[in-house]
Amino acid sequence: MTVTALVLGPILAGLVIYLIPRKQSRTATTLAAVIAALTFVLAVADPHAADASRHWLSRPFDASFHLGFGPTSYWIVLLLSLCTFGGALALSGHRSRDTAAQLLILQGAMNGVFLAKDLLLFALFWDLMLIPVFLVLIGAGPHARAAWKYLIYNLAGGLALLLATAAFGIVAGTTDVIGNPNAHVAIGETWGMWVFAGIAFAFLIKTPVFPFHTWMPDTYGDLPAPVVAVVSAVQSKAGLYGFIVITLPFLGPEMAQAQTLMFVLGSVALIYGALAALAERDAKRVVAYSSLSHLGLILLAIFSGSALALAGAVVYIIAHGLFSAALFLTLGAVEQREETRDLARLGGLGARNPKLAGALMLGALAALGLPGLAGFSGEILILTGLFKAGFVWPAIVALVAVVLASAYMLRLFQGIMNGPEVPDLPERRDLTWAEGLAIAPLVIGFVLLGLNPGLVISVLTEATRVVGSR
Amino acid sequence: MSSALGNFPANADYAALLPFTVVALAPLLILFIDLFYRESGPWRRTVAVGIAIVWLVAAGVLQALQYPHDYAAFGGAFVQGGFSIVFSEIVIVATIATLLLSIGVGRDDQVAGTTALLLWSASGAMLMSGASNLLMVFLGLELLSLGLYCLCAISARGTARESALKYLILSSMASGFLLYGSALMFGATGSVAFSALASAVVTPLLALGAGLFMVGLAFKLSMVPFHEWTPDVYEGAPLPVTAFMSVATKAGTLAVLARFAYAALPSDHAAKILVPLWVLAALSMVIGNLGALAQTDMKRLLAYSGIAQVGYIVAAFAGTTALGLRYALLYLAGYTVMNLGAFAVVALMSRDGDAVVGLPRFAGLAYRRPWLAAAMTFFLIGLAGLPPTIGFTGKVLILAANVGAGYAWLAGILVLSTAISAYVYFKIVRVMFVHADPRHVRDERSRNVLPWVAVAVCAVATFVLGIVPLTPSNVLPLVK
Repeated sequence: MTVTALVLGPILAGLVIYLIPRKQSRTATTLAAVIAALTFVLAVADPHAADASRHWLSRPFDASFHLGFGPTSYWIVLLLSLCTFGGALALSGHRSRDTAAQLLILQGAMNGVFLAKDLLLFALFWDLMLIPVFLVLIGAGPHARAAWKYLIYNLAGGLALLLATAAFGIVAGTTDVIGNPNAHVAIGETWGMWVFAGIAFAFLIKTPVFPFHTWMPDTYGDLPAPVVAVVSAVQSKAGLYGFIVITLPFLGPEMAQAQTLMFVLGSVALIYGALAALAERDAKRVVAYSSLSHLGLILLAIFSGSALALAGAVVYIIAHGLFSAALFLTLGAVEQREETRDLARLGGLGARNPKLAGALMLGALAALGLPGLAGFSGEILILTGLFKAGFVWPAIVALVAVVLASAYMLRLFQGIMNGPEVPDLPERRDLTWAEGLAIAPLVIGFVLLGLNPGLVISVLTEATRVVGSR
Repeated sequence: MSSALGNFPANADYAALLPFTVVALAPLLILFIDLFYRESGPWRRTVAVGIAIVWLVAAGVLQALQYPHDYAAFGGAFVQGGFSIVFSEIVIVATIATLLLSIGVGRDDQVAGTTALLLWSASGAMLMSGASNLLMVFLGLELLSLGLYCLCAISARGTARESALKYLILSSMASGFLLYGSALMFGATGSVAFSALASAVVTPLLALGAGLFMVGLAFKLSMVPFHEWTPDVYEGAPLPVTAFMSVATKAGTLAVLARFAYAALPSDHAAKILVPLWVLAALSMVIGNLGALAQTDMKRLLAYSGIAQVGYIVAAFAGTTALGLRYALLYLAGYTVMNLGAFAVVALMSRDGDAVVGLPRFAGLAYRRPWLAAAMTFFLIGLAGLPPTIGFTGKVLILAANVGAGYAWLAGILVLSTAISAYVYFKIVRVMFVHADPRHVRDERSRNVLPWVAVAVCAVATFVLGIVPLTPSNVLPLVK
């Protein structure tokens, strides 16, 4: 019941919000934020909710509408409701009713992806989450190109996933396998690599990982900041989550075969993302490229086969979600005030806007891996895990990227908050209470997760179990 | 009993033909009643269309009652069973939707005539669904086409004549192929019954005949490379007729194709003889979607989209597996509701339900008429194969059937062409959701609100079929 409500509730609420007149945008965004907060409360109140399962197909393979919490997905669902809450509160402008509705539909669809225990259902929600983002992009984005790039890239991935799912179902006889420790599925030599290739293609595009990332900077640049916060924090984790719960248990040998390739892709993404973030002038795209870099690190961890690194990957998935959402929301607040995201045209905001500067500083510090904040816990686990498993070179590459992270994050902060005030920019106003309320839960989240790693113990044990069982 | 031409009408089982008879007789009643009108008025069209719908519903219910049984008429030339009933029901649904769309089109005194022609065409398609004999196939096909030639020409637009003439000439050519193929197969086996073909010894003559027969069907289905006539004919024909052609004609022809592929070919050689068909399906998927990329007129766009969608359906036949047939039927039902829904939306965008609707007319529709835009978006999402629609579920099942039958390459092409089609369908979505200056957009509303019924029913069906993919079990075609 709880899990079904987490998926269908936001989608239905999103459709209801479309019925609110366009002019009453405040009502719409407030309602969206309330719904998101309710999903958070629901998930917190009922962490041991029973699975919801209804039979769907019996031919050509068994499939069910099977939703349920997993140890990893539980935390991602919480993260998603925080991000949606923040995003809905931070919405503004004449399109905010539509965006609020689409944000909720997106939340429901993504809850579906993370709660799906059936591969076909996973693929269904995977494709479904394209639609709200596409609609936001065509409505809000100045460039139609970004919307097309997003749609075509991600749909190509989604279709590859669909074909792989069909093949998986035909070979295995069922797709109701995710998170089921008793599912012994052998895909076999003939189909294994094809199925893995299809699934990995979809996941690499969605994450994204170099060289499939070219849709990402455009999309992140054009989407309104509150939506980017959700997309970057959670949607980009869908592929990584998929690697952990789908390919790791069922396509282990193929993953081992693809290890070198993935290490190369991850390492390139790490360095390329960091360098691009250093060179980029658009503040949002700086964070977009930094995500590319960070997610490359998670990819390395997942493919290393080390239980420690994998545990780090899960922690970092949550941590990155928290701080990237906080960063994007803060940058959205900056953009709204200054009407630009150009680092060269921004400057000196910090002196008069201590709250804004504080939020950005905390986000940036978490992103660059300051000990005590959540980013560090994930990074140190991944790096130690990589090193212990004997992958010295990837660990060194990752270390270099971590150092570069300090450079671009501080450059971002300095470009906006420090230096002389730029005179010709419009009004200056510190964070409003709504914006503060949007960002605060995320900041509290990554501070708590950094200070108290005990929060993620259950995640650690599950991740260890997955690898340990092989 | 199989090849008996001699006792052709003698042991006809009227139960088998009852639904067909109901649909075929309704036009007589409609035309007869229409004789008594002295002046034109809205009543005249309402009565004609009303009678037609009632009789179609009656025929549909009759057929549904027949579903668990098998009937044969004319010594096995016409077989009514699960297979033909599913196809016929699709034809009936398409015809009812067409009537809902057509009630506002044309002059008052024309409506009885057009309705009668439409019903005769529909009965032809129903005949094709059950045809299991080369002669019956031809009879059904001609009954279907003759009505359509007139219907294409009925509108006063200049392009209508062109459309009708083009359809007449090219369709006759297709019939020629079909007849020639039939003649060769008759020459090779000495029988016109499908059951006799299935047990015949394969000779080059039979293979050539089967090839020509399939070319004729591919023409009618507008599969690439026999598709060039489709966009022009669709563009010129009145909108309801286009909607009918895009669904009912395809359903009837697909029924013949499926019965031929599954039941009329010697099983040891069927796989080899049918290879060209899978190639045509692959070509249709890719080229249909590529062709649709450049279209801005809605009818032409939906014509190309239909070419690609038929490719998906025929691809499901690959390997002639029972599951493939069930999923083809499921997807055909899904395509029917999605496509008719899209046509109904287009009909609601012009005053008389039959204007040329180009892409620019959709500009900013989401702001002017949000419900219409929402419905259209939903149908387009379905046609593009995204959830939560039958377009998604149907495609997954076809992919699975292809992979299971060993036609993974076809599944790969299906996936590739679906990626292309996303641009086609979402181009329209984008236009609808981008703000447009209202002064630059012609905003017409249809006087006829009945297409809304079609939109609502189709939208619900698109969603429900996607969640509950009904695949009837006894649909394997029979030959007697």
